[in-house]
Amino acid sequence: MFDSDPRALIEDSLARCVPRRAILKQLVAMGLALPAASALLDACSGQAAGGSSAKVTISLWTHTHPPMIQLMKTLIKEYEARHEGVTIDYQQIPNNEFGPKMLTALSSGSGPDVINMDDVSLRGDYIPKGLVVPVDPKALGYESVEALTSRYIPGAFVGATGGDGKIYGVPLEYDAAAFGFHFDQFQEAGLDPSSPPRTWGDVATMGRQLVQYQGGTMVRQGFDFLYLHSGWYTDFIELLLHQTGGHILNSQRTASVIAQSRSVQALTIWNDLINKYHVGDPHVSSTDATVPYSDFYTGKLSMTVLIGPWAQAQMQQTYAGQYRQVKMAAVPQVDPSRPASRCYGYFMAVNKASKVQEEAWKFIAYVTSQHDRWLSDVLFVQPIKGWQNTAAARKIDFIDVWAESYATAKFDEVGPHWSEIEDTLKSSIQDTVFNGVPPETSFTRAQSEIDRILKG
Amino acid sequence: MMPSRRSPVEREGRAGRGLSAPWSPLRLRGHQERALVGVLMALPALAFFAAFAIYPILRVFYLSLFEYNLTSPERWIGLGNFAYLFADPTFKAAVVNTAVYVVGTYLPTIVLALLIAIGLNHRSHVAGVLRTIYFVPVAMTWVVVTIMWHLIYNRFGLLDQLLHLHTNWLTDGTWAPLALIIMSVWKEVGFFVIIFLAGLQSIRHDIYEAAAVDGAGPLRIQLHVTLPLLRPVLAVATIFAVIRGMQAFTPQYVLTDGGPGDATQVINLLVYKTAFVYAEMGRASAIAVLMFGALLVMTLLQLRIFRARSA
Repeated sequence: MFDSDPRALIEDSLARCVPRRAILKQLVAMGLALPAASALLDACSGQAAGGSSAKVTISLWTHTHPPMIQLMKTLIKEYEARHEGVTIDYQQIPNNEFGPKMLTALSSGSGPDVINMDDVSLRGDYIPKGLVVPVDPKALGYESVEALTSRYIPGAFVGATGGDGKIYGVPLEYDAAAFGFHFDQFQEAGLDPSSPPRTWGDVATMGRQLVQYQGGTMVRQGFDFLYLHSGWYTDFIELLLHQTGGHILNSQRTASVIAQSRSVQALTIWNDLINKYHVGDPHVSSTDATVPYSDFYTGKLSMTVLIGPWAQAQMQQTYAGQYRQVKMAAVPQVDPSRPASRCYGYFMAVNKASKVQEEAWKFIAYVTSQHDRWLSDVLFVQPIKGWQNTAAARKIDFIDVWAESYATAKFDEVGPHWSEIEDTLKSSIQDTVFNGVPPETSFTRAQSEIDRILKG
Repeated sequence: MMPSRRSPVEREGRAGRGLSAPWSPLRLRGHQERALVGVLMALPALAFFAAFAIYPILRVFYLSLFEYNLTSPERWIGLGNFAYLFADPTFKAAVVNTAVYVVGTYLPTIVLALLIAIGLNHRSHVAGVLRTIYFVPVAMTWVVVTIMWHLIYNRFGLLDQLLHLHTNWLTDGTWAPLALIIMSVWKEVGFFVIIFLAGLQSIRHDIYEAAAVDGAGPLRIQLHVTLPLLRPVLAVATIFAVIRGMQAFTPQYVLTDGGPGDATQVINLLVYKTAFVYAEMGRASAIAVLMFGALLVMTLLQLRIFRARSA
């Protein structure tokens, strides 16, 4: 059919249809038009913050706590309605996956614009690694960082302060510990609910009266801590360490001191309660981190330490019947004359890689300004000065117990390679509490393990 | 008429183009052209494989010589990660636990699967139904199986209720490894039954008839006919078993998270934690390299042993 090269034919016909100069002109025009179109698309895609008319998408990741998620979604809707063009992409990450996912995402320069992170991870990983940015007081609606911090109770920002003294987050949730007990079970066991335990010795004595067995299995524990992921183990051992005066690391955070007597005393208290006085059985404890206190909520656990008011709210909302049989008291002490407790916080912070940092801080300003709603709906305390005297606070059950706990609480110690150290602590506590290894042996082994981790 | 010495493709191509001279700058013979087309067609897949399999493997070897925590620049430390691991009690525990898991799970699994396969190696409706039943756990994901067994092992669960026991299956350092092994045997038997059945069905029936005529009883037939003829399949099955066992992750992650203590810590779980929880990518890569080396050596050893016996 063809009597010559077909390509030559095509080129020839093209040359006749469209002159080369015209093609060149079109290419130059396209070259000019592309950057303009790109800029327009950038403006519309929300990648560039700026004017109020620009479309902005702010991504937010939090852990899973149903009441928190519910209120967060409501606040997001309100914020989007008030800020035309702003969209909040909200994702919840299961609690046990939260740390690895967030750290991996942020480390690779991606991840959400806004993160809601516990103070231990923030101080242990995110701030030292430069993954988050210092607060932007102007975007938060304050003249200066001092103006921001002066609105909150002293020490509230310790959990979000870096080694450089800068503040990297705003508290969404500030938690202290309280002692919860089922007063109906106290009455049933012949105990006086108006005199809850003041010391760990009292817990041992009362706990033995509250325990119930069925066919050799403990079906109701008198007292126990929770056995979930390593962070929870660390929470409880730190509570006891605050009381015994023990530490995990030395003051320079270069070596472990957990084999010292005061630190071993903390694990001994825990071990004695379980393996000497048998007030609890960790082998029957729930391990569902989504509803951490399910054993306590359902009455299978008579007494426990609640590490934040949110647990009280969760019980009130989901186990209303059982909640009516529960009271809160101050956390039992090693020495009641020198009460000590722990606190922790979740702080909203902004990813260093975020391209919408100013917008992200504005969103955080809105979310963290709803103090009363966080308190009444989720029982998240935001530690603004006088929070316990607000109308919302006065409606909360046992608010004085919680307020007193905040007064004696301090943030946990944190050090380098903290995730690995937490896993080591979890293993050593399990060795003792589950498998009967003496506390001295467990913590001596933990000390050498932590030293090795710190040396790298 | 002389037959054309050109390939059909070449003939068709030239005829199709209707040209007196090829316009390709390369003058290729038929088979070369076919090879080139093959390579070009495979190139996207090869590029994909190189980017997502070869490069990450090489990168793991490279990273194992560095300290790298995702956020700071990589720092060359030579064999530092390996030295750290050899002194690390958690790594040692993971190696021992992995070995116990591999042997404890796959030795009984292979024996059981072989016996079941021999028992099911005949045509009947019952055998067909039983084969399906044994295969059901294989079709289930590890996560589903693990959650199911979590309920079974619960202190108020099926196992303790049925056997009137008070065993802390998942929270006692002695029982937890055994609990994982029992669950894994249940899950894995079906997979090996299928492999052995395929092997058994490839053995000619007249060999059995000849053995029977020679006076061999059922046990001798299995020992002296079936097993020797199944040796290649057994070799493959053992290699599969070691690889699957060494790669165990989900049961330990979901059921016990490596605990209590380090009782069920296995190598893959340690790699995951080291990389994604502790952000120690260099050290995690070093563990992966060691695991790769161990797997390679074991596979070669297994092949050698089976070859030596076949010779």
